[in-house]
Amino acid sequence: MTIVAVENLCKSYKSLTAVDDFSFAADKGEIVAIVGPDGAGKTSLFRTICGLIQFDAGDVTISGYDVSTRFDRIKPLLGYMPQTFSLYPDLSVEENLRFYAGLFGLTGSQFDHKKGPLYEFSGLGPFYDRRAGDLSGGMKQKLALSCALIHDPKVLILDEPTTGVDPLSRRQFWQILKQLQKQGATLIVSTPYMDEVALADRAIFMHQGKKLAEGPPDRLTERYRGKVYRVKVEPSTERVGQIMDIGNVDVRRFGAALHVYTSASTVDDRLIGQLAEIGIEPDRIEPIKAGLEDVFIQLMGN
Amino acid sequence: MRRMILALMKKEFLQVMRDPNMLRMIFLMPIIQLVVLGYAINTDVKDIHTIVYDYDRSELSREFVRSLSAGEYFRIEAPEYPVLDAARGFTENRYTAALIIPEDFSENIDRRLPADVALIVDGTNANSAAITVGYAGIIAGQFSRKVAGMSSPITMRQKMMYNPESESVNFMVPGLVALLLTMITSMLTSMAIVREREVGTLEQLMVTPISTPALILGKTIPFAILGFLELSVALAFGVLWFGIPFVGSWPLLYLLSFIYLFTTLGVGMFISTITKTQQQAMFFAWFFMIFAIMTSGFFTPISNMPQSVQYMTYLNPLRYFMTIIRGIMMKGSGIEILYPQILALIGFGIAIFGMSWMRFSKRVK
Repeated sequence: MTIVAVENLCKSYKSLTAVDDFSFAADKGEIVAIVGPDGAGKTSLFRTICGLIQFDAGDVTISGYDVSTRFDRIKPLLGYMPQTFSLYPDLSVEENLRFYAGLFGLTGSQFDHKKGPLYEFSGLGPFYDRRAGDLSGGMKQKLALSCALIHDPKVLILDEPTTGVDPLSRRQFWQILKQLQKQGATLIVSTPYMDEVALADRAIFMHQGKKLAEGPPDRLTERYRGKVYRVKVEPSTERVGQIMDIGNVDVRRFGAALHVYTSASTVDDRLIGQLAEIGIEPDRIEPIKAGLEDVFIQLMGN
Repeated sequence: MRRMILALMKKEFLQVMRDPNMLRMIFLMPIIQLVVLGYAINTDVKDIHTIVYDYDRSELSREFVRSLSAGEYFRIEAPEYPVLDAARGFTENRYTAALIIPEDFSENIDRRLPADVALIVDGTNANSAAITVGYAGIIAGQFSRKVAGMSSPITMRQKMMYNPESESVNFMVPGLVALLLTMITSMLTSMAIVREREVGTLEQLMVTPISTPALILGKTIPFAILGFLELSVALAFGVLWFGIPFVGSWPLLYLLSFIYLFTTLGVGMFISTITKTQQQAMFFAWFFMIFAIMTSGFFTPISNMPQSVQYMTYLNPLRYFMTIIRGIMMKGSGIEILYPQILALIGFGIAIFGMSWMRFSKRVK
């Protein structure tokens, strides 16, 4: 069942086109990850879905209600967590939660029932009286999420919730999201981290306001055309230059190794020979399955 | 709706209480300003340092000098410089007046001839110079009648109503209370709204079911309450510390202050719609305050201003509130007297609050 439907959405600011004829849908209980570099239009897309900015053309509906005309019906269904921390730093964790509970019309006793489970899964319980401004980055994001969850929204829009958060907190954060999904929530999450995309049910690649590709993360990697080799050598600029000189290949640093890309889809014995000539033994070269990032980079280049 | 407004108000008070600067601004600032302005802005002219060059050196001339120094206005001192160099004392701020009694002073009086004396006054402060000349003239007139038996057909008997001692503090404190109320409510409201925009919480509020009217009320009512607190603190301090009289009706003053708050809260809200940061908001609020203070009659009477500026003062809501608060406190004026000012305030309140409400609603939509 479709909960969120975005059709042919266009939004531009003066000369800049932020969202360009973008369509997608999210089903009930689904996690959709929107992936793209900075400036891809993710935030503009989310802000239009949340009714915060007006769009130029297209349709956005949530639970069948049109965002531009029936936003009052959507508000109780929607939880939004913006990219920048937008809570009151001078209020404590509990005061922030209580404030949002009040805005959603919860009574004092309703809030007291609600805060227990929220503290439990967020791990914020011991910090209930700490000022929000004094929390660590990961804690802040958990508090922001808790505030967005105070009214049990059916749809959660999370704009880069884990950017700038340490890896452990990121993992915990995604465990929370998975838990919410089990409870029937629909989540639309933007992220710059490819490892998080693999945790989503569906990924949408976004670039310059347009949709590049869409599908389950493991299926998206099959879209890669060509072959990727992992070359375990010191990823120095010199090495990159040497390999580029072979021609018909592309090279990128990938952690402590290099990824070499060829357009041929089968293993290229000639390439392995040429690499040996510049001193890279065949046992350091390993053909690998293309990852999401490889796919994204290839799609962006086209 | 009610629950949302209460949640917002509670949050606003929590934030104010958490901010030590805010607390200082609300409670300490009025007292410091009252003390400083109550004592420093003293338009009373007393203890005028005066040197006397008495070339007559007669019994009569000494009596004339004594009559000058009898009151608390003139303090007579011996000259330090020769008379031709008397101006040096003015530039060195040693005295502000010099009296020269020529040698034929007593002789002329004995012969029933006009006797001239010269009074030279430092005119740097035009206001107190004029008052000095006035005092001296009155004393000279009394002296003439007494000593020479010269009687003028008109005798003016003066009586100052409402502020018989001409205590400037009685006049300044009510005005200052009006200023503080204006400043606190317009500045704090604008800064509190802009802060939400700066931090990004305003956007977060937009995705909650809170309606725009509830948002506006939740953001303005706390500052209206703080305004009343401010008013009470300042009034209590003025009455208890300075002992200024409060002749009129307290309930009427609070009622009219309530009406006036629509204007100041509206101004605060309006400023928040044209600014992006708290600094900008503060700057605009300050700009508004300067205009409001200068054309309110707080320092100088409006009737002393050039005609064109006098017309401009009609656009200043503070002007009307200034008249109201001074009228109620000093003269005990009631509605039957103050109704033109009250009507003006109601008009300003509706216009400014209404316009800001519309602008604000449009901005958050």
